[in-house]
Amino acid sequence: MKLDFAFIWTAFLQLLTAVPTALAITAVSVFCGLLIGTAVAVIRLYKVPILHPIAASYVTFIRGTPMLTHLLLIYFGLPILVDAIAEAFGLSFRSVSIPMIGFAYVSFSITAGAYMSEVVRSGLLAVNRGQIEAAYAIGMTTSQAMRRIVLPQAFAASLPNLSNSVIGMLHGSTLAFTVSVVEINAKAQIVATTNWKFFEAYLAAAIIFWAITFMIERLTALAEKRFNLYNRGGVS
Amino acid sequence: MIKLTQIRKSFGRNEVLKGIDLTVEKGEVVAILGPSGSGKTTLLRCINYLEKPNDGQISIDDFNVNCKRPDKKDIHTLRGKTAMVFQQYNLFRHKTALENVMEGLIVVKKLPKDEARQKSVELLEKVGLGSKLDAYPSELSGGQQQRVGIARALALNPEVILFDEPTSALDPELVGEVLGVIRKIAKEGITMIIVTHEMSFAQDVASHVVFMDGGVIVEEGKPSEIFNDPKEERTKQFLKRITPEGVYSI
Repeated sequence: MKLDFAFIWTAFLQLLTAVPTALAITAVSVFCGLLIGTAVAVIRLYKVPILHPIAASYVTFIRGTPMLTHLLLIYFGLPILVDAIAEAFGLSFRSVSIPMIGFAYVSFSITAGAYMSEVVRSGLLAVNRGQIEAAYAIGMTTSQAMRRIVLPQAFAASLPNLSNSVIGMLHGSTLAFTVSVVEINAKAQIVATTNWKFFEAYLAAAIIFWAITFMIERLTALAEKRFNLYNRGGVS
Repeated sequence: MIKLTQIRKSFGRNEVLKGIDLTVEKGEVVAILGPSGSGKTTLLRCINYLEKPNDGQISIDDFNVNCKRPDKKDIHTLRGKTAMVFQQYNLFRHKTALENVMEGLIVVKKLPKDEARQKSVELLEKVGLGSKLDAYPSELSGGQQQRVGIARALALNPEVILFDEPTSALDPELVGEVLGVIRKIAKEGITMIIVTHEMSFAQDVASHVVFMDGGVIVEEGKPSEIFNDPKEERTKQFLKRITPEGVYSI
């Protein structure tokens, strides 16, 4: 077998057009996942009545089922729900007008939320109890103490795990092809159907994923340096 | 004036405070002494509600908190009137010395940034850290961190500053600098309640000494009375062990 280097390059250039889609799916799911995850982590740590068992079940169910299953459940289930609601309220909106990528956004955000809640929870647990006591002692409310003292430190502590999650979501974004979203892998398949050089096309896709992942790693390293500035003297 | 009435606190079935009554006059420096497990730190933490008392009343001037049914707002007000210096310093790790002192002024007292900054710089200079404004806690020695902790407490102009064994976590060499700062602010007439194991310091700085054991106040009075002429057998025993006369023998 001979490797067609020229075609790897051609495929590479064509795959670049799918990069924004992959990045959009990753960014949306990570951002929404972080919001959901933080809320879930705080609810679970503070054992908020009623919400606490719901949050715990959410995490165990989502982590206990594959990401692809979430996508399929949302893809087939959400339209039923949306149409039922629209009908009940007499709205003209119908699920067919939801863009395909919308299903990926919703489902991957739900997936990311469950995983990230554990990332945030471990970050929160890493913050010394004395920090919040000191915040209370100077007269802060719980929400002020959380926002100004605990969460920034928890965020710094969870950066390494967070970067893991971001990378996981980037690679997971490839599953969106099952709902006809043309992300990097799907694009590779499309490109290769013209001449059946699948290996070259997927190789180009791999290079792109690796490059993006490498950039995420570098960015995390920079962020860690920035946010962990206060640790430079060692243990305090 | 701070008045504690029948403060009770239990951890599970273990009753740590068995009805404490204590009155602290304005400007007084009260030292609380006692063996480990006597409840002195718990009592101090109850005063600003870091520990929730099960029963009793806390009054600061005209403001009362009924510990049986405390209002969330009352707890917040109470914390606004008190400040605490911790055994483990508990400086905000992600903030510089200056930011640590400024934090309460900006977030709680809502002071404009410039004003907060100016006041914080003055206070840090007062505790001898004018050259360490931008250092993070991890870059400071224990003694320096504790002095930032004291500046942070002072910044809030509290009715009372609560010191929870402020020198227990320090190297012996660094104890002096922290006690020096506390001594200095004691002279300014700020009301202070200090839980300490530093007997000579308590004798020297306190205007009132409280001896606790087993969750009750065994004896209280002027330092000269407690240290030179204790009435209760338990106090005598404690002081004898902790301040041996003459030389140490091994």
